[in-house]
Amino acid sequence: MRALATSTGAERSRFAFLHIDRELVAIGLLGGVLSGLLGVGGGIVMVPLLVLWAHYGQREAHAASLGAIIPISIAGIVTYGIAGEVKVGPAIALTIGSVCGARVGAGMLARLDERILKSVFGLFLVGVAVLMAVRG
Amino acid sequence: MSGTTLYVALVAFGVLAGVLSGLLGVGGGTLMVPFLTLVAGLSQHAAEATSLLVILPTAIAGTLTLRRHGVGNAGVALRFGVVGAVGAVGGALLALALPASALRIAFAVFVCVVGLKMVRDAVLSWRQPA
Repeated sequence: MRALATSTGAERSRFAFLHIDRELVAIGLLGGVLSGLLGVGGGIVMVPLLVLWAHYGQREAHAASLGAIIPISIAGIVTYGIAGEVKVGPAIALTIGSVCGARVGAGMLARLDERILKSVFGLFLVGVAVLMAVRG
Repeated sequence: MSGTTLYVALVAFGVLAGVLSGLLGVGGGTLMVPFLTLVAGLSQHAAEATSLLVILPTAIAGTLTLRRHGVGNAGVALRFGVVGAVGAVGGALLALALPASALRIAFAVFVCVVGLKMVRDAVLSWRQPA
């Protein structure tokens, strides 16, 4: 670790890939395994772990989770074999809506009170639990 | 539902899923997959594949917006996600060997407890001066 800390910028950039807290690596791995194992999205697992384990603020946890979903969904697209299964029309229609919605939602995330974020996320989790129980 | 009505419903539902994604930091697949199977009549596999493809641009759009607002650290989040992706592939392989449906029920209970705890924490913190 000391070698890393005293290395030059150029040297450090080679390690930049792993340049995150050990706690984040553990949460990333655990969250990823749970999400792959249970077939649920990464966010539902990552956000509670970041808040309850790593003591992230609710806003920062949501932001970290949203960014993490980018490589996770790329891995999913690559490994899941979506070729030939994607319904292009519905995918385009949903994307038009969801990209607009995501900009609005992220804008709200930047502004809203942490306690409101926590409440809404908590209620969302309860809703997801009900949905999971119903679908079995 | 069919034709134009279905597409209007898909765009509208996309807006809802997108707002929740950007606000809560989730992908939105949990909502989109049931919608695609129940309302749009897609098979489970087609619904999962389609929602997976929609989640990527949604998360990118949300992350770009957060970056503009100076919330979070996109670089750290992306590396965090790479670790998560490695875990997810491992978890998917593990699911083939384990009784996943029993695990799902256990996880649903856990998620419910965590959700209620978060609501409780929020309510309690409201009573104290922020």
